[in-house]
Amino acid sequence: MITPRSRPRRSPDQAAPWGLYALVALFAVIVLIPFYWMLKSALSRPDDVFAVPPQYLTPPTLENFGRLAEQVPIVRYFANSIVFATATTLVTLAASFLAAYAIARFDVPGRNVLLLALVISTALPEIVTIIPLYQVLRDLHLLDSLLGLTFIMSSVLAPFTVWVLVAFIRQVPYEIEEAAVIDGARLPEIIWRIVLPMTAPALATMAVINFVNAWNNLLYPLAFSSSVQSKTLSVAITEIFQARSPFGRPWELISSLGITMMIPVVILAVISQRAIVRGLTTGAFK
Amino acid sequence: MVGATAPVAQRRPWIRPAQRRYLTFLLLVAPIVILRLYTAAYPIARTAYLSLTNSSLLSGTSELIGLENYRALADDVALVGAVRFTLVFVLGSTLLQLVIGLLVALLLNAKFRGRGFARSINLIPWAIPPIVAAYAFRWLLDDQFGLIPHWINVVFGQRLAPLSSPFLAQLSLILVNVWKNAPFMAVVFLAGLQSVPEDLYEAAKVDGASGFQRFWAITLPMIVPLLIAQGMFFIVWQLAAFDLIFGLTNGGPGVATVTLSLRIFQEGLLFFKYGVASAVSMVLMALVAVVGLLGLIWFRRREVVL
Repeated sequence: MITPRSRPRRSPDQAAPWGLYALVALFAVIVLIPFYWMLKSALSRPDDVFAVPPQYLTPPTLENFGRLAEQVPIVRYFANSIVFATATTLVTLAASFLAAYAIARFDVPGRNVLLLALVISTALPEIVTIIPLYQVLRDLHLLDSLLGLTFIMSSVLAPFTVWVLVAFIRQVPYEIEEAAVIDGARLPEIIWRIVLPMTAPALATMAVINFVNAWNNLLYPLAFSSSVQSKTLSVAITEIFQARSPFGRPWELISSLGITMMIPVVILAVISQRAIVRGLTTGAFK
Repeated sequence: MVGATAPVAQRRPWIRPAQRRYLTFLLLVAPIVILRLYTAAYPIARTAYLSLTNSSLLSGTSELIGLENYRALADDVALVGAVRFTLVFVLGSTLLQLVIGLLVALLLNAKFRGRGFARSINLIPWAIPPIVAAYAFRWLLDDQFGLIPHWINVVFGQRLAPLSSPFLAQLSLILVNVWKNAPFMAVVFLAGLQSVPEDLYEAAKVDGASGFQRFWAITLPMIVPLLIAQGMFFIVWQLAAFDLIFGLTNGGPGVATVTLSLRIFQEGLLFFKYGVASAVSMVLMALVAVVGLLGLIWFRRREVVL
């Protein structure tokens, strides 16, 4: 908020506000430049995209998106990405919530070992299990299916989600649940009516983070998807990248698809900035 | 649920409350445990086994050959190069991310108009798909039409092709990775900065400490544990980086930017040499385990609780 006040005292913090604003501007330029350059390339005619020297502002056109749709079934891939990311988010949250509740509230031997094992398993590189996972999916007849991708991705995202949720549930006072137990409430009731609403903020945070992670995932669809059945936008962009054009690579099409992939997650990140920050910092402060 | 199966009026219930509690616990954690066993524990064991075979889709072989794959890797100059570049990439990236992440956090913690906007756009590099970031920078660094070589040419009068020179390609990869992941560091450090009590600064101001002195004497000591914890986390996590490398350089020029993860991808998913890919996977896992263990030991010593 801007409040009228007398001339600020000249302390080192306020001595050079223009210097601070110069730094902010530099920061903004560096952060935004790939976004700007892809947006500009996506909205320019190919002649303008490949101009030498580069043009910073060119007359906008949407024709690249039309040409992109001619080359790949972009709507189908977009739908696949949405289904994959949404399903992954829901499965991850459901499985993680139940486990986190059990670990946080059931004072049984082995629960800390389980939590530790889950946390350690987050360090497992995705790529080292890719060949056995291919065989697992093949045996389950889940290759080239969104269900198979969801199955794998949920498992990958769940441990971190459990960790964050356990930390959150442990901060919630136990008295309300205790009172419900004394009143004779059964466990499903307690979980559904009391714990779930109280954990809602943390669940919302992890929903955003997990959606972004699943949306951004490349390796699993790249390895397990072979048709429009289950290919996502991240696979589509690697395929457009392989295509040739008179100027080498079709950067106007790659940019159009890149922008299409960025916009949902950028909007999500900006509107839920606070929630994301809370989630990302939970791990750092135990 | 378990509760429904427990008979109410029985002198000696077949299941005691403590056991019932344990069963309920197991039931609640079952989905996640089954998921992890199926898609993490079993695949690791399978990778370990495959690394001892000559399993390959193209030659159709699949026999146990003992440590033959590892022996071949030990003599493989390219693998040594991949291990070396993986370490350079991870350590170089993490070091720069710590420094730049802290600088960005300090900037975003200062008071200025539009701070909320600046904090929002800071999340953009974190949010966008790594493969898109990789292609965006590949386009920005393009030899012929790229914006960055053009600027370098304008300022220094020199035409560079960053992705065609081994050294510049390695440097570009590290810098792009810093661009992508330093904002995440900044988010965590910003929260750390905000948790430093304001009165400490006030007291220091009264004592006449300069801005730099306050940073050195108050801010830094307060967030050093956070810096080390994040550094460890980023090192372990980035050892497995794949998308960015695959998209930006794909290992080139030559093999200058091949990391262990990219080598696994090439052996396993391009050449279908499952045995060799699995052996390289074991090398990567060993690297992650060693670094992770060192981190855990450090945590224990500092009594940082998970």
